[in-house]
Amino acid sequence: MKAFHQYKLTGMIVLLTMTAVFLPGSIMAQRFNHAGFGGGNRGGAPAPSRPAPMPVRQESRPAAPARQEARPAAPERQESRPAPETINGGSRNFGNHDFNRTVNVHETVNVHENVTVRGGVAGRPAVTIHDHENVYHTGGYRGIHPYYYHPYRPYYWGPRWHPLGFFLTSLAADAIYFSLNNQRYYYDAGCYYLPSNNGYSVVPAPVGAVVSSLPEGYETTMVGNDYYYYFGGAFYINNGQGYQVVPAPFGAVITQLPVGATEQQINGQTLMVYNNTYYAPISQDGQDSYEVVDPNQQ
Amino acid sequence: MYKKFLFVLFTGILTVHLQAQTRRIDTVAVSILDKMSAVIGDLSSCSVTIRSNYDVSSRELGLVKHSDEQELFLRGSSKLLLRSEGDKGSRYLLFNGKNLSYYSMDRNQYSQVETPASLIEMIDTVNKLYGIEFPIADFFYPSFVDDILAESKNLMYLGLTQVDGKECFHIAGTAADKTFQFWVSNDAWYLPMKIVIVYTNKEMNPQYEAVLSNWQVNPNLPDAIFQFTPPVRSKQVRMVPLKNKK
Repeated sequence: MKAFHQYKLTGMIVLLTMTAVFLPGSIMAQRFNHAGFGGGNRGGAPAPSRPAPMPVRQESRPAAPARQEARPAAPERQESRPAPETINGGSRNFGNHDFNRTVNVHETVNVHENVTVRGGVAGRPAVTIHDHENVYHTGGYRGIHPYYYHPYRPYYWGPRWHPLGFFLTSLAADAIYFSLNNQRYYYDAGCYYLPSNNGYSVVPAPVGAVVSSLPEGYETTMVGNDYYYYFGGAFYINNGQGYQVVPAPFGAVITQLPVGATEQQINGQTLMVYNNTYYAPISQDGQDSYEVVDPNQQ
Repeated sequence: MYKKFLFVLFTGILTVHLQAQTRRIDTVAVSILDKMSAVIGDLSSCSVTIRSNYDVSSRELGLVKHSDEQELFLRGSSKLLLRSEGDKGSRYLLFNGKNLSYYSMDRNQYSQVETPASLIEMIDTVNKLYGIEFPIADFFYPSFVDDILAESKNLMYLGLTQVDGKECFHIAGTAADKTFQFWVSNDAWYLPMKIVIVYTNKEMNPQYEAVLSNWQVNPNLPDAIFQFTPPVRSKQVRMVPLKNKK
C-alpha cells in the first residue's frame, strides 16, 4: 500500500512537471483571436462575417502498394504538374476586407482629433482609413509609402490651364493681377504668369501668393494633421482668407503630375521631378499616385 | 427650452459616442499584411529561426525577462517540427499529420496526443485543449489579416526601418487588451521579421518579442525529420487538458 502511494506520488510529480511546461500563462505564441477556427478559444473577437472557410487541404497520400516482382511500366508523364500542397491552404480575403465590420471593442476608444471619418455608419464603429504617421522623420523625409513604379502620364487641368513656360500673347479678361515681392503676377485658372516678350509666360506658383478660390479639380491631401490643397503642380493651405501657395510638403500624396515632369533615377528608384520637387510613384487604394519625398533620403 | 436642452445633450452624447468608437485603419498597413499573408499562404514548406524574449511577472521582482531560441520547420499542411532551446529547457514538438509528440530532452520525457490532420487545426486544437502555444503561429492562420482587423482598434503603417540590417515595413496596432507591432521585410517575399506584443490588460504590461531570421522558403524537408521515435529509457507522461488543471 505504501509502495502504491509512493508510485502515485511519483506519477503526480511527473504529470505536474509536464503540465508546467505548457502553462498558457507563460506567454509564448499565438496571441490573436482566430475565431474562425474550432479551437483556440481565447475569448475576445466574435467571428467576423466572411466566406465559409476553405476546406483544409489534407495530405492524401495513397498507401504504398505492395511491392511487386515485376516492375510496372512507368506512367505517362503528365503535362500539368499538380501544385504543391501549401502550409495553410492559402490566405483568405486578400485585399477584400470589410473595414466597417463591427469590431470587438469592449472599452472606450481614445478620440483622435482632426480625423477624417469616412464611411461611418450609425450603430457601427466608424473607420478612418488612410492616415499614415511616419515615425521615422529624422532630418529629411523618406517616403512613407512603399515605392511602386507606374508610368508617368502628363496631366492637363482643362483648356485654360497651361504648363510651365507656356506663352500667351493675351490673358483672359478675368485674370487677376497682384504684386508679390515687388513682382507683378497674373493669375488665371490655377496658372501664374509673368509678363514676357509682349505676352505672358507661365511660371511656378510663387510661395506666399493667396487666391480666393481654387479651380475645380483640385485635390485635398493630409500631412500630419494639416490639410493641403493641390492643383496644377502647386500646393496650397487655407489660411482663412484664401488659399496660400506653400512649398510642396513632404508626405503629401497626389494623383496627377502636370506635363513637364521628368523622371530621375535615384538609388535605383525612378522618381518624378517637377518644379524642383521630387515625387515617388506609389499606389494608394489601388490608384497610381505620387508622394512628395526628399531625394536625399531615398 | 427644456426640449432644446435635451436635444443638445442627446446630440452631444451621440457625437461623443460615435467619436469614441472611431477606428484608424491604414489601408497601406492592411495591404502589406495582406501581401505577407498571401506569400505565407502559398508556401509549401519553410523553416525559420525565432529568437523570442518574454516577460514573466514576479510579485517580488516585477517583470523578469526570459528568452528562447527556436527552429521551426513546416511542410505541407500536416508536418511540423519545433526545436526549442532556452529558459524552459531543450524541447521538441513534432507533428506528423496524426499526432503531436512532445519531448523534453532535459527530463527525457515524452508525450503524444492524437490531433486533427491539418496543421492549423492541430495548432488551434492543442492550444484550446492543452494550452500549448506555438511561436508566431498567428502568421500561419489563413485568416490572419481578417483576425487582426477584427481585433484592432487602430492599425497603422509607420514607415521603413531596419531589423537585423534588413529593411522592413513597420506596422503598429492596438486592440482592447494589447498593443502590437509587426516588421515585414521590404523585399519580394514580404516575410515577417519581428513581432512585439505588449499586454495592456495584464499587470505591469508584460511583453512578448520575437525576431525571425534565417527564413528558408520552400526547402526540401524529408519525412524523417517529422517522425518521432521515443529515445531509449525515456518516460512517457500524459498531457493534462486545461480543464483538469487547477
